[in-house]
Amino acid sequence: MKPIDPRLIRRIGPARRYILVTAGLGFLTALLILAQALLIARLLAPVLSPTDLAEDGLHWWGRLMPEGTRTLATGLSLLALVVLSRTAVAWLQERLAHRAGVRVISQLREMVVDHVASRGPRWDSGGRTAQVATLVTRGLDDLLPYFVRYLPQLALALTVTPVMLVVLLGLDWLSAVIAAATLPLVPMFMILVGLVTQERSARHLEAMQRLGARTLDLIEGLPTLKALGRERGPATRVRELGEAQRRATMGSLRVAFLSGMVLELLTTLAVAIIAVTMGFRLIAGGIGIETALAVLVLAPEVYLPLRNVGMHFHASADGLAAADAAFALLDEDADAPARASLGVAPDPRGKVLDVAGLAVATPDGSRRAPADLSFTAAPGRITALRGPNGEGKSTALLALTGLLTPSAGTVAVGGTPVVTDAAAVDEASWLAHVAWVPQRPDLGPAGRTLSLGQRQRTALARAFDSDRALVLLDEPTSHLDRASRADVIARMRALADAGATVVVATHEAEVLDAADAVVEVTAARTGPAA
Amino acid sequence: MSARELTDMAALRAAIRDTGVTRWAIARAVLAGTLALGSAVGLAAVSAWLIAKAAQMPSPADVALAATVVRLFGISRGLFRYLERLASHDAALRGVVTLRERTYERLAGSGARVVLGLRRGDIVARMGADLDAIGDAVVRALIPLAVAGTVSAISVAIVAVIMPVAGVILALCVVLAGAVPAVLTARSARIAAVEGTRARAEVSAAALSAMDGATEHRVWGTLGEASGALRTADAEAEHAHELASRPAAWAAGAQTFFTGVALVALLALGVLAADAGDLDGPFAAVVALLPLAAFEAVGAVPPAVQQYFRSAAAARRLAELTEVEDRTDAGPAPAPRASSLELDHLSVAWPGMEPTRPVSASVAPGGVLAVVGRSGVGKTTLLATLAGALPPAAGHATVGGAPSSPALTGTTVAMTAEDAHVFGTTVLENLRVARGDVDEAQAWDVLALVGLDPWVRGLPSGLHTELGAGGRTVSGGERRRLLLARTALTSAPVVLIDEPAEHLDDAGADALRAMVTRMRGEGRTVVLVTHDLSLLDLADSVVTLDD
Repeated sequence: MKPIDPRLIRRIGPARRYILVTAGLGFLTALLILAQALLIARLLAPVLSPTDLAEDGLHWWGRLMPEGTRTLATGLSLLALVVLSRTAVAWLQERLAHRAGVRVISQLREMVVDHVASRGPRWDSGGRTAQVATLVTRGLDDLLPYFVRYLPQLALALTVTPVMLVVLLGLDWLSAVIAAATLPLVPMFMILVGLVTQERSARHLEAMQRLGARTLDLIEGLPTLKALGRERGPATRVRELGEAQRRATMGSLRVAFLSGMVLELLTTLAVAIIAVTMGFRLIAGGIGIETALAVLVLAPEVYLPLRNVGMHFHASADGLAAADAAFALLDEDADAPARASLGVAPDPRGKVLDVAGLAVATPDGSRRAPADLSFTAAPGRITALRGPNGEGKSTALLALTGLLTPSAGTVAVGGTPVVTDAAAVDEASWLAHVAWVPQRPDLGPAGRTLSLGQRQRTALARAFDSDRALVLLDEPTSHLDRASRADVIARMRALADAGATVVVATHEAEVLDAADAVVEVTAARTGPAA
Repeated sequence: MSARELTDMAALRAAIRDTGVTRWAIARAVLAGTLALGSAVGLAAVSAWLIAKAAQMPSPADVALAATVVRLFGISRGLFRYLERLASHDAALRGVVTLRERTYERLAGSGARVVLGLRRGDIVARMGADLDAIGDAVVRALIPLAVAGTVSAISVAIVAVIMPVAGVILALCVVLAGAVPAVLTARSARIAAVEGTRARAEVSAAALSAMDGATEHRVWGTLGEASGALRTADAEAEHAHELASRPAAWAAGAQTFFTGVALVALLALGVLAADAGDLDGPFAAVVALLPLAAFEAVGAVPPAVQQYFRSAAAARRLAELTEVEDRTDAGPAPAPRASSLELDHLSVAWPGMEPTRPVSASVAPGGVLAVVGRSGVGKTTLLATLAGALPPAAGHATVGGAPSSPALTGTTVAMTAEDAHVFGTTVLENLRVARGDVDEAQAWDVLALVGLDPWVRGLPSGLHTELGAGGRTVSGGERRRLLLARTALTSAPVVLIDEPAEHLDDAGADALRAMVTRMRGEGRTVVLVTHDLSLLDLADSVVTLDD
């Protein structure tokens, strides 16, 4: 997985700005660490040197930190200033990281939700909305550790590490060579360890997931077992599966932690070797104490960001995967063929609604529901669509709204087509005349606190009061008591009497009795010929 | 500290006790962790001494030992870190296995009311992620905190031996660098738990509504309002997070600050002491440079505190899952084998639900009662009540002469729920879920009864073919008939069957007919929830929950 998803930078403004600011703060941190190391060397060298310090041990870098800083008062005040600055940078980085992280998550969430809301009603087939809801809430929240922990360390690895290498080179070329030579070993060995253990860890991972799934399967079935009086037995099996899973997990961890060990081993050993080498060169007079101190303090800083990047990578992998899924969703059906436009919709008031040969394929393509629906719904009349569940009553209503493109057939008002399998009138102009109440009305977040019956009554009231010419009702009485049902039927009748065209999908006798016409809706299996 | 936090913490302590993780296992991991981070401290101390000593230009033999020790520390850090990670994960994983078994046993022993009321997603989340969070409390909170303590003590001891005043200052700074961020992080976690959770719930609701209600919003022209509601919820969530991140930022700053204070102070002390001749140069260098390495261990404190809060919340959810004990379960279990059934003005409801209209029926042993009604009217709730999972809201339900009770669940009354589970195991084992001693002949017999024998014969390994997740997928119709076969194998005298809302295909209806006929022949009583009115001729009596 790439450390930075380019789509985050390209499409999400706050992410782009944050990455730039973090890189800047990373560079500032590098300068502060450098100043700290040089000051420590300046302050400590005079008391450790057996003779007076004749030359400037910081060489070129002495220009940044003049020899005057060797005096305790000057050096310590500067060091205190560095400490305060580092404190401020640490505070600022954390603040900005959290702020940018949640902003990016919100923006990505809003983009995905808007995108899904603009898809047709068929998009949700197979419970995809539930999956997307999980993705945009819990899934995207995993991006936070990526922004707060991983990216800053990545910025440091890209700034501090190279800056420190250059500084080391200016101080003591031999130490710089040791550091530069070990650096590439880190990724090399990690890749090597990864390659050697790949097959083994894949096997462990697979066993781990399989055993985990089996344990959960057993636990999920607990209510079933209880209902049959057989709940006591599987506890032992839960333990056995758990033990097997633990062994598999440990097997995979033993391998997975190896690369972490290689990273720590190489970086720490390199620092130790630099220190020991300098020790013997000091004795031989090959290097000054001031230089040696600066190198000793700086050497671990070369490796520290690399270690931290490795440490935080796994925590951020989930978030990056979620972002990837979100972008994949956003790019989905970007190239779906646009329906041809039939222009502005005619006003259906007082006109007959004509449905001819309407068919809609089910999402899996195995059936057509409805299969071949033709009927006429006149203004002032209640037309009922009847049929068993799953035959396509609700789908037929959706096709009348024009939001679902039928596989075949035409919907027309007063002889003018409004929806066909290839074209539709302008959505807003048509829907301005259409009232539609689904089986489980949503009514927005506020509506979620209401019971289904209350929601249905509220949604029906909205339709009855809307003064729209075409009223589509899907099982309007299914969650209502007897009194409310009678009321709904009366209001339907009143609407029709006022000139509206009412089409209602139902299987309830009372509603069918009240209808002026009843149309049978049937589905058909898609034959090999079709 | 709120009462809820105290319960959370008590729950976490109890959960960790339940993992059975031994002190020895924890001690081993802490020891390895101490040696790992202690190596880093040792490396800093000895290399500072080595460089300063070498500056005095002694004979190379005088620093030979130090040079070896430095190299040794260079290697030991990585090695011990590896051992620590293995030891801590092993301890935690063992603990999770034990805890999962115990939780399962506790849950299995809970009343039918608790178990049958469980939602599938809840069980998986509790027994999966929440149990893992208890393990994480060991790996990411307990052990790192202990290691931070031991390693800091080692650093302080090294400095204190050389220069007591410096030791005191370092101790003070280390404690502050650990405690101040700990308090701030706890504050941040607390805000996130309260404000953040509420804000997140609103975001979820707004996002779901915008997507679920999209078609409605388009028809009524309210798409803008829906996405506006999401933007408002998002803004509130951002604000809540902003509040929580403020203390977290101060925690990050505090750690850097106290590390710096220790550095400035010890550097000054070291230089002054060496200058005055009170301290030999190499030891002054150790005092001055050790702060650079001594604070790595306390860096683990803020994430450990966060993990602690997460784990404590998980422990509470886990405790809540099992603590709703059914008192009626404790009573003696009269298990009547008689199978007559009496519904006397019985009205049923889950807590908070509108009770159903009262129904009465009397079924003799071997009789069949059909329950009909609109979806959502409470048919499944009626079955749950007869199964003993729920007390009646009003009226009485009598099974074999005794009032329905949880003690009857699974013994006298067996139920096959609409969403009963097909386990990820073989066909035969899935049938043995009903009764452990089902042999192959009995399995084939009952499969033939429901008309599944040709299907099973066609499977690659017949009765021994794995089904479900990771195995062969089962179609909806096959699944229903397999569940019917399983129900037929139970030995309970009263059998409750909840048919799904979709209409049965012909094979399913035939299977149901055959099975009910057999049950009747065995003198067993069947209660059938059905939507297929053509099946009503099977029943001796019918009750409708529609008013």
